[in-house]
Amino acid sequence: MMRVGIRKRKTRALLRRIAVIAVVLLIAVIPAIPIWLMYGWIISQSFSGRVILGILPSKLTIENWRFLWSPITMGEKEYPNIWPITLNTLFLALGVAGLVVLVSSLSGYALSRMDFKGRTGMMQFIIALHAFPSVILLIALFVILNKLGLYGKGFMTLVGIILIKAGLEIPMATWIIKGFFDSIPWDLEWAALVDGCSRWRAWRSIILPLVLPGIGAVSIFSFLSGWSEFLLVFTYVAQEEYYTLPVMIYHMIGEFIHIDWGMLAALGLFYAIPTIIFFSVSQKVLLKIYVGGVKG
Amino acid sequence: MVVLRGEILVRVLLDNISKFFGKVKAVSDLNLEIKDGEFVAFLGPSGCGKTTTLLMIAGIYKPSKGRILFDDEDVTDLPPKDRNVGMVFQSYALYPHMTVYDNIAFPLKLKKVPKQEIDRKVKEVAKLLQIDELLDRKPAQLSGGQRQRVALGRALVKEPDVLLLDEPLSNLDAKLRILMRAEIKRLQRELRITTIYVTHDQVEAMSMADRIAVMNKGRLQQYADPQTLYNKPANLFVAGFIGSPPMNLIEGSITERNGSYYFETHSFKYALPRDIGSLVASKTSEVILGVRPEDIRVIIDGRGSSDSAIIGTVYVVEPLGRDLLINVKINGVLIKILAPTDIRLESGQKIMFTINRAKLHIFDKKTGEAII
Amino acid sequence: MPRGLSKKMLPWLFLAPMLLMITLAWIAPLVLTVYLGFTDLKINNFLAFIQDFFTDKVKLTLDNFRKIFYAEDPYVSETFKVTVFYVVSVLSVNAVYALILSIAIAYFVKNEILSMILRVTWLLPRITPGIIYALMWIWFIDPRYGLLNDMLRLMGAPEDWLPDSWLLRKPYSQVLMVMINGYVGASFGMIVYTAAIKSIPPDLINAALVDGASEFQVARRIIIPLLKWPILFVTAWQTLSLLSSYEYILMVWGAGSGQGYGIARSAGVMVWSLYSYAKAFAEYLYGYASALSLILVVIGLVLIILYFRIFGFKRLMEPSKVEV
Repeated sequence: MMRVGIRKRKTRALLRRIAVIAVVLLIAVIPAIPIWLMYGWIISQSFSGRVILGILPSKLTIENWRFLWSPITMGEKEYPNIWPITLNTLFLALGVAGLVVLVSSLSGYALSRMDFKGRTGMMQFIIALHAFPSVILLIALFVILNKLGLYGKGFMTLVGIILIKAGLEIPMATWIIKGFFDSIPWDLEWAALVDGCSRWRAWRSIILPLVLPGIGAVSIFSFLSGWSEFLLVFTYVAQEEYYTLPVMIYHMIGEFIHIDWGMLAALGLFYAIPTIIFFSVSQKVLLKIYVGGVKG
Repeated sequence: MVVLRGEILVRVLLDNISKFFGKVKAVSDLNLEIKDGEFVAFLGPSGCGKTTTLLMIAGIYKPSKGRILFDDEDVTDLPPKDRNVGMVFQSYALYPHMTVYDNIAFPLKLKKVPKQEIDRKVKEVAKLLQIDELLDRKPAQLSGGQRQRVALGRALVKEPDVLLLDEPLSNLDAKLRILMRAEIKRLQRELRITTIYVTHDQVEAMSMADRIAVMNKGRLQQYADPQTLYNKPANLFVAGFIGSPPMNLIEGSITERNGSYYFETHSFKYALPRDIGSLVASKTSEVILGVRPEDIRVIIDGRGSSDSAIIGTVYVVEPLGRDLLINVKINGVLIKILAPTDIRLESGQKIMFTINRAKLHIFDKKTGEAII
Repeated sequence: MPRGLSKKMLPWLFLAPMLLMITLAWIAPLVLTVYLGFTDLKINNFLAFIQDFFTDKVKLTLDNFRKIFYAEDPYVSETFKVTVFYVVSVLSVNAVYALILSIAIAYFVKNEILSMILRVTWLLPRITPGIIYALMWIWFIDPRYGLLNDMLRLMGAPEDWLPDSWLLRKPYSQVLMVMINGYVGASFGMIVYTAAIKSIPPDLINAALVDGASEFQVARRIIIPLLKWPILFVTAWQTLSLLSSYEYILMVWGAGSGQGYGIARSAGVMVWSLYSYAKAFAEYLYGYASALSLILVVIGLVLIILYFRIFGFKRLMEPSKVEV
């Protein structure tokens, strides 16, 4: 091989390094700028009058957050108070989380620990469901809600939505919890049995503490997914007082766009608080779950 | 061997290099010269920094401090691509999605060598390493030994200036390891490529390398040819690490009485030759005495006994096949002795033995450095 | 043998609540969608229908499918075109762009902290509740208040290239649709690919570097071939979910225009699933809407069966696994 001079080799190496940096900038950094700008805007806009250049706050104010203590009006129309709406959202999210955890811990345990005919089939079925896009079923679910007498019944409609939303989340949650059970070695359970525990006792004092992180992750995940649920409430809830936050925000965007960006930003930020908290606390676990199964 | 010649012999110089990973010092202040065409082994326990050093020479890691020179050219800032090194990894790192042929051809394709030439070279290397039957297979279909040869072929085909081998034999079974040891050595002699071989196995290092750099905790302990390393270990670490069964290391102090020097422990006293004694005593009194098991001779029936003989009790006898390894206890101090198999000994039996004074090692207890 | 029987029953006892919920949320609506597709359920016969369904009082008909396939609904063909455009372009963002993105973030960027910042940034659109994500886009593209037009001007785009409304002016609105969904979708690919790239043994990449590969050659010759299955998985999975995703379109166009999601039609972003939704909940033609959905259901089921064939159960489970 011909030997290339050291200086030439160094220049080439430098050029290649620059090319790599250029690609990173072009692909990963520059397209991310709008994302940063959007989040910068929503934060600064919520505390500010007019914003300069999109993200620089001008005059600090809490006026945008007035919806927390006074009703929002638009001409004659008065929007429902934010707090009952927040409670509706919380009720929905907690209901979904509770139901999902309860049902999927049982099924996750059975799929991981029990041997029965049709176990593999059941697992395949769950994965298939997970892949199936559930939003297609909205119309049929609407008919079912009507048949069950849960449509247009205010609070009971929310209960119906909890049932549906939980049902849609359960295949994935089952799968995740099964994974957590799978990661506990059988030896541990046997050791407990040999040490004189009853099967129930072994479950309670050995297995449960070990899957608790998994159950925690699933509850956070399903809570967030209930908290962010938009379509079901948007479609099935007709009365304003049973709206949840995202649906109310949807309608308010339509009304207040161009008029009060500040309030919309503050409202959005208010709504995002649980998501921000949960995500910063349990980012690692959530990411793992996102890999396991995402709709999107 | 026409294609794979080693006309360009490269000298590698590590000029005071260090590598930190965060706060961890993987390698500190390493100075080393590898002559052109030389076969050098980096020897040390795991985590001693030998693989890190190798990866710095390859250009995967950049040293935190210091320079690396190939033939007086500073390559510290060059990426691996521009260094023309070949490397065999411990895991072989064969590309699983390529056939054996493509694996070996890969470095040549990257160099934009013409197709026919690639073909010729790949086949030649394959023949050299006796893997020409396997060219169409995927790595997953190969045995450990075959993978090893492919990895070697891939490293050699580009006619590297420097060949780097990172524990290449550690995943092979014992028999194959001995075979490959000889083969790698033969190849290196034939091709005369400057070669650096990382291993934790002293037998491999001793049997293959021209010189060995013993490393521990990121520092160079000694850099010498195998014989010197064995006969003149520079410090306690090298003394303990090289040799199997390991050297006996006994803590004690040097005392002088009426012009005679003694090595004294709480359990026995051993007269030292005057010249050695005075030399050691002039430096320190707290020492560690080292003597290899084969440099101790058991005295049977009092024949050949002398006044410097030591008496001990046989603790355990381990037959090693060719030799016997006798564990002798002298009031709590355990000494291992290598003896011919024709001696009959039983546990609890009292025996006498003498130490070959020419093969004595004495280390400073504080610094661990060899005094003699 | 009551004991043996109870042992056999126990797993099903544990599974019963799940099966019940699945029946409610998946099986029943799935069956019902099929059924509804063959009826002419609308707002005016709705109440009677709720009483009578699955009895012979309901008249079954093929009218809905005639409308779809024989172009009796003139809008179907345009919806179809928009949907194909939508799926293909967002899919290429999700599968191909995300691949380059992941290699850039997980391999080219060596600094751990920088790499983490970029990864979180690209995840934000997925984590953020949809309506907030929509709100931010609505602001960003606003010709007067938003920053998009300013940024484009800064990059030297001539004034008459900039639309007076990104939301309503074709083809800008369609580009916008791809961007909004692309940012969310890219993170799915990124999560799967990044995990896969991280699981490639470092020795393999080091070996390629020593063999003389540049960073780009490592990406092209080692990383991408090893990511064969993850790439296929992302493509397959995303095809399925894109076919039926319309939530962001509904939110951005519905809220952003102030005129509801019906505006999607004139903006050229009415995808098949949104069309079905609009037929049901804006025009109250439940039967026809179900028929439209049913087509997606069938495509979905066929694709799922196909995926099980191609990937096998195992690979569907561990999409990020690299086969070394």
